[in-house]
Amino acid sequence: MNRYLRGAIAFVVAGAVLWFFPNLAEAADLPIFYLLFAYFVFFWTAQASSWNMFTGYSGYFSFGQGAFYGAGVYTAATLTAKQGWPLLAAVPVGGLMAAALGVSVGFVVFRLRQLRGEIFALLTLAVAFVVAAFARVVPSIDGGNGIPMNDVAVPESLGSFPEMMYRMGLIVAMLTLFVAFALRRSRLGWGLFSINDDEDVAEALGVPTFRAKMAALAISTFFAGLSGAVHAIQIGYVTIEDVFNVRVPLFVIIMSVLGGMRHWMGPVIGAMVIFTLTDRLNRAELDVFGQTINLEAFNQIIIGGLLILMVLLVKEGLYRRIQTRPWLALGGLAFGVTLALVFGGEASPISKMAVGMAGAIAAVLIPFYRLRRSAAADLEEAGEVVP
Amino acid sequence: MTLYVQSIVSGILVGGVYAVMSLGMSLSWGVLKVINLVHFAFILFSGYVTYELSTTYELDPFVAILVVVPVFFLAGMALQWAFEKTRINEFESLLVTFALLLIFESIARTIWSADFRQIPAEQNPYVSDAWWIGDIALQTPRLAGFVVAVLVTLLTMFLLDRTYFGKAVRALAEDREMAVAFGIDSSRVSILLAGMAASFAALAGVFIAMSHALTPGLAVEWFAIVFPVVILGGLGSTKGSLAAGIIIGVVAAVATVAAGPSMAPLITFVILILTLLFRPQGLFTRGAA
Repeated sequence: MNRYLRGAIAFVVAGAVLWFFPNLAEAADLPIFYLLFAYFVFFWTAQASSWNMFTGYSGYFSFGQGAFYGAGVYTAATLTAKQGWPLLAAVPVGGLMAAALGVSVGFVVFRLRQLRGEIFALLTLAVAFVVAAFARVVPSIDGGNGIPMNDVAVPESLGSFPEMMYRMGLIVAMLTLFVAFALRRSRLGWGLFSINDDEDVAEALGVPTFRAKMAALAISTFFAGLSGAVHAIQIGYVTIEDVFNVRVPLFVIIMSVLGGMRHWMGPVIGAMVIFTLTDRLNRAELDVFGQTINLEAFNQIIIGGLLILMVLLVKEGLYRRIQTRPWLALGGLAFGVTLALVFGGEASPISKMAVGMAGAIAAVLIPFYRLRRSAAADLEEAGEVVP
Repeated sequence: MTLYVQSIVSGILVGGVYAVMSLGMSLSWGVLKVINLVHFAFILFSGYVTYELSTTYELDPFVAILVVVPVFFLAGMALQWAFEKTRINEFESLLVTFALLLIFESIARTIWSADFRQIPAEQNPYVSDAWWIGDIALQTPRLAGFVVAVLVTLLTMFLLDRTYFGKAVRALAEDREMAVAFGIDSSRVSILLAGMAASFAALAGVFIAMSHALTPGLAVEWFAIVFPVVILGGLGSTKGSLAAGIIIGVVAAVATVAAGPSMAPLITFVILILTLLFRPQGLFTRGAA
C-alpha cells in the first residue's frame, strides 16, 4: 500500500486546499464566474482522465465517451427529475449504469480474436447513437422532450449553487485523478501498458488480458458516468441533442492527446489548456473589415486542426515535453503572463492566464536539439520507468 | 400487406445505395488498413455539390455524376497520398480522419447552414417519379441507385478478380510486405484504390441528394448504417457489401413500418452486435476471425 500512500496524502491535501477556495473567493469578492470556470475545468479533467485511464493506458481507442457520459447524465436526470431520488443517491447510480454499458461493449468486442482494436473503436462510436436513439424512443427516459432539472433538490450543505457545483466537481475530479494515478502504479496498470505495447506477447507472458481490459473499462466508464451525473445538474435542461453530440468524445480525445496519454497528468494539462482556449475563443470576436466574426463557429475546425497537428508532430504530448524541459516551460509561462499583465490592460485574468499557457506551450514545443533524440532517451534521462 | 411488400421492395432499393456508401469504406479498411472516416465527408460534400450543380447551374442530377465522380476520385487519391507521405499507422489514421470529418462537417455547416437542403422539384423531376408493378412503387431515384449499385459491384468484382491491378490489390490485402517484396508498387496501388473508394462515396452522395434533403449532421448519422454493413459484409468483400447493404436496407425499412422510424437504428445495431458475436468475419469471408 506504501506506493499509493504518498500520492493519497498529496491528493487529500490538494483537495482540502481547493475545497475552501469558494470561501476565499467570497471573502475576496471575486465574481461567481470564476467558480463556474473552475467547475468546468474539474468536469473536463474528470472526463479526460476517465477516458485516458482506459484508452491511454491500454491503447484501445474509444470514441464512446459521449455514450458513457450520456448514460450518467440521463440516469441522474431520470432518477432525480422523474423518480424523485435525492441527487447524491442518483449520482453513483449514474456511474454504475455507465459502467454496465461499458462492460457490455467490452464483452462483445474483447472476445474477438482479430481486429479487436478497430472494431472496439467503431463500436464505441456506434454505441453513442444507439444510446441516444434508445433514450429518444423510451418515454420514461426522455421520449424526445428533454428533461428539465430545475425542480431537483440539491444538497444544501455544500453552499450556494455555484459553490455546490464547484465542490461536487472537485470531489469527482479528485477521485478520478487518484484512481488514474493509482491505476498507473498497480498490477492492473502494468497489465494495461503491456497490452498497449504488444497484446499477444502480454497474453503469452501470462497477463490476463481479457480480465484486465474488462476491469479497466469498467473503472473508466464508471467515472465517465459519475462525472456526467454531476453535470446533469449543471446542464439544467437535459436534451438528447445536447448530451449525445460529438463534443464530449472530441474534447476528451484532444485533451488527452495534447497532454500525453501515458501519464495521469497528461489529461489534466490537456483539459486546462483546451478548456481555457475554447472558452476564450467562444468569447472572442474578431474584427475583419468592419464585420465582427464570432470565433465560436470555428471552434470545431480549430480543435480538429490542433488534433491533427498533435498526432502528426508531437506524439508524446505536452506533459512529456514539460517533464524534460521544466524550466523552459516555467520561463515561457512567466514571459506570457508578464506580457499579458503589461499590455493586457483591462482583459480578464483568465485571458492573461491563457496567454501564459500559450507562452509555456510555445516554449516546450520549440524544436531544439533535444527533439532529435527519441522519446525513449528522454524517458531514461527523466529517470522514469514506464511500467 | 401491400405496405410490408412495399417496404421490403423499397428496402432492397435503398440497400443498393447503402452498399455503394459502404463499399469504399470496406475496401479501404480491408485492403489499405485505413479506417477512413473522411469517407462520410466525401458522401456529404458530393451530395452538396450535386445540390449546388442542379440548383445554381440547373444541371440534371444524373449529369452531375460526370462532374462529381472524377473530382472525388482525385480528392481520395490526394488524401491517400498524404497518408503515404506521413506514414501514419492505423490508429493515427483513425484520429486524423475523425478530426478531418469534423472539420469538413463544420465547413459544410458554415457554407450551407444546418438547415435541410433539397434539390427543388424543377431541377429534379425524378424525385416524385416512380415505376409501378401492380400496387408497388419503384421510385426512380432509388431504382437508379440500385441499378448503379449492382453495376458498381460487378465492375469492382471484375477489377479485383480479373485484372492485374486487382491481383496487386488482393496481394496487398493478404500480405503487404510480401507483395512489396515481389515488386508491387504499394503506394501507387493504394492511391488508386483510395481514389476508387472516394468515387464510390461520390456516387452515393449523388443518389442521396436526389432522394433526400441534406444537412451536415447526416455525415455522422450515416455511420450507424455503414458500419453494420461493412461488418456484416466482411472487410474488403465486394459482394458482401451489396448483400449486407440490401439486408440492412430491408430490415431498416420493415422496422420503420412496423415500429416507427426511431426504431430502425436500434434494429440495425442489434444485427451488428449479433454479427460480432456469432459471425465476426462477415457473411462471405471464410476463415476464423
